[in-house]
Amino acid sequence: MSAHIRPARARTYAIPAVVLLLLLLAPAVIRNEYYLHVLVGVLFSAYLASAWNIVCGYTGQLSLGHAALCGIGGYISTLLFINIGLSPWVGMFLGASCATAAGVFVGYPCFRLRGPYFALTTIAFAEILRIWVDNTEEVFGVELRGAQGIMVPLKGQSPWLFQFTSKVPYYYIIIAMLLVVMAVTFWMERSRMGFYLKAIRADQDAAEALGINSTRYLLTAMALSSFLTALGGSFYAQYFRYINPERNMGLDLSIEVALMGIVGGQGTVLGPVLGAFLLTPAGEISRGFLGGKLMGLHLVIYGLVLVLAVLFLPKGLIQPIRQFFRRDSGGAQGPPGTAGRQDTRAPAA
Amino acid sequence: MALLEVQGINKAFGGLQAVKDLSFTLMPGEILGIIGPNGAGKTTAFNVIAGFFPPDSGTIRFKGENITGLRPWDISHRKIARTFQLSKPFGDLSVLENVMVGGFHHQGSRAAARRKAEEVLQFVGMAHQAFIEAHNLTATDRKRLELARCLATAPDLLLLDEVVAGATPAEAADMMDLIRRIRDGGVTILMVEHVMRVVMGLSHRVLVLHHGVTIATGEPRAVSRDPTVLKAYLGVQHVQPGNP
Amino acid sequence: MDPIILGVAVVNGILLGGLYGAVALGLSLIFGVMRVINFAHGTFLMFGLFIPYWLWQLFGINPYVSVLVAAPILFAVGYGVQATIIAPLFKRERAMVLEPLSVLLLTAGVGLILDNLTLMAFGPNVRAVQVRFASTSLWIGETLSINVPRLIAFVASVAIAVALSLFLSRTDLGRSIRSTAQNRDAAALCGINVPQIYNITFGLGCAVLGIVGCVMVPFYYVSPTVGLAFGVKSFIIVVLGGIGSIPGSILGGLILGIVESITAQFVTATSAATFSFLIFILVLFFRPTGLMGLKV
Repeated sequence: MSAHIRPARARTYAIPAVVLLLLLLAPAVIRNEYYLHVLVGVLFSAYLASAWNIVCGYTGQLSLGHAALCGIGGYISTLLFINIGLSPWVGMFLGASCATAAGVFVGYPCFRLRGPYFALTTIAFAEILRIWVDNTEEVFGVELRGAQGIMVPLKGQSPWLFQFTSKVPYYYIIIAMLLVVMAVTFWMERSRMGFYLKAIRADQDAAEALGINSTRYLLTAMALSSFLTALGGSFYAQYFRYINPERNMGLDLSIEVALMGIVGGQGTVLGPVLGAFLLTPAGEISRGFLGGKLMGLHLVIYGLVLVLAVLFLPKGLIQPIRQFFRRDSGGAQGPPGTAGRQDTRAPAA
Repeated sequence: MALLEVQGINKAFGGLQAVKDLSFTLMPGEILGIIGPNGAGKTTAFNVIAGFFPPDSGTIRFKGENITGLRPWDISHRKIARTFQLSKPFGDLSVLENVMVGGFHHQGSRAAARRKAEEVLQFVGMAHQAFIEAHNLTATDRKRLELARCLATAPDLLLLDEVVAGATPAEAADMMDLIRRIRDGGVTILMVEHVMRVVMGLSHRVLVLHHGVTIATGEPRAVSRDPTVLKAYLGVQHVQPGNP
Repeated sequence: MDPIILGVAVVNGILLGGLYGAVALGLSLIFGVMRVINFAHGTFLMFGLFIPYWLWQLFGINPYVSVLVAAPILFAVGYGVQATIIAPLFKRERAMVLEPLSVLLLTAGVGLILDNLTLMAFGPNVRAVQVRFASTSLWIGETLSINVPRLIAFVASVAIAVALSLFLSRTDLGRSIRSTAQNRDAAALCGINVPQIYNITFGLGCAVLGIVGCVMVPFYYVSPTVGLAFGVKSFIIVVLGGIGSIPGSILGGLILGIVESITAQFVTATSAATFSFLIFILVLFFRPTGLMGLKV
């Protein structure tokens, strides 16, 4: 790949770069912890949506069970912390490894199912896990506390134990994690694996006839996605210092994550982030500011956005933005594998 | 040494024996045409050889190695490429990206895959369409794209499934020319075809299937005069001796 | 395990299962004909529960009579949703088979909107219709009692299934629907107005929910959150019984009902759902066509 950055791409990267800069400087300006908290929430959603996108955006399958992976990560790192004092920094990787095993184990038989059946099966597996945790007080002597959830013991300012008294360190950590996921997605998209996944998504038979072991690549994507999602779960546990099956493994979370990925634009690096930046504040506002008087409003908004996205912007919100930038740079055909594509019609989501 | 040895392939679907006792060998550099009336079992035979599904019995040896029942990707890695009767382009990828998927076959470098893809597109005459999204291509161009994708994997054996179906005579002539050039580049070709002019004009040998059974093999001219063959087709009229 | 308690559980499982089967009927029909995965199915059932509830609450109308109102209303709603929201997707995908995930997402979105609008309008509180006959029971022998409204619901479910079967096989409209299900293009070439058939089918699927809701309301609670659970159950039943098969739906419903009922004797109600999910997964992996259905 040439090192020379073409004008089109430079312009496309300008806005995200500016946003990143603003985000990095934000804590210096924003003193109100609540706003910082909202930002952490948005960035966390963006992280999860991006991790989800690694498998779902590029394989064309819809997973509605990713919350389970998030929950596995959170629970394992927390349980290791509480029971043997293992630092969550280490525990999170162990949790992620378990989640990866689970993801691959479930993915292996599931990938042969087509679209809606795959989605329903992911719901089934995730719900089975959630229900089990919900109803289990302890297992093998380890307390799970069922629906009550687990509180992460307060240790005060202890960076080594992944705990900070201020929100600011968490803020920078989640930014770093988000950048890692985006970098992984970016790298993957342009690599052989990215091409192969898109080929499998477009036509599995043709892809296999070209030497692509579809099972291997689909499971690799699944493993990557599971690992990263679970790391997010551990972050959540450390930030909120509380996890329970409903919030961390529930269908609501899975749906939200998928929604952000879809509305923002699956199969792109910026799409899920965009989706998160749009939907999370909308959710926060309708949940928080309206004081819970209009219960369910944020879901109505989510539903509306989803319907509009499917009908009018099936490739996600990122699509018109990309078009805008390409037209802006004289309609230049970009290099393959990046933003260089002419859409003459709106294909299916 | 024979490149491809097919022995005793049988394949049935439910009660229907689609392919019965198919055997033939293919020498390097040959073009073998498989023809037969509709329902003769050509595509089934083709799909068995390509690893799309396993035969009920029989063996397929490629360069001496038994490849019967291998999965499609393993067959592809042994340098056998195939096209599909109903084209399967990667619709939302550009023409260049489509061929790059093939280009990654032996190595993982994007730059190398791209170079290979550009080379192949030049060879098949689609370089000017490199950035068009595949679902916008015409039917014939899609077939050409499939061919290009196959070539990017640098195969030794190319399996073509009705690659001139639906082409105009001019397009068919172009395709024939392309196939000849591919063969001249060292690729052995096995083609299933309906269009007599093309298959008779290109093939060194022809194999005729009828109801799954091989009823004739040999040089095109001889086969086209074979009374059994003529009977099977109920009057084959438009065979031209030699190249069109 | 006391055999009588088990027996009662099985009987209740059958009664409830028949009802579940009727709920799933609409889903099976819609998917069988249009290949549309209706994620909003449970939501429409929820409407089917609310209509007789409000008619009883405001006007004192007997739920069974409300069928005359609920069924047409839900038919209209279903027809409308298909015609205005889902049809554009069909038009866009004209050349190819409908991309299944788009429809899934679309109907999911519609379900989200309708579920939560209802939640906003009526609040999350659980309501119930109190009718005099709600607790009457039929006694079989000394020990087995069958709750009459549940029995009526079961009978109604079977009746709906039979009526739908007859409708599809004996009437012209039914035949049009079946032929559209088998081959949309051929049907169109025969002069069948395919978009209209789709609208009618969707309407029919929802109308069934209207009837089911009315017969359910004497013994089932009414709440905006009911939708999701029934939606999920319906999917499990449709997969179990086989897509597009009416007897399959009822059979699948019966199996689910019995499994639920029996497992609820041993574990908590929420845990019992695990078994339903497990059955679902196993069926999909090992017998994807379901017990009686067309190919998945």
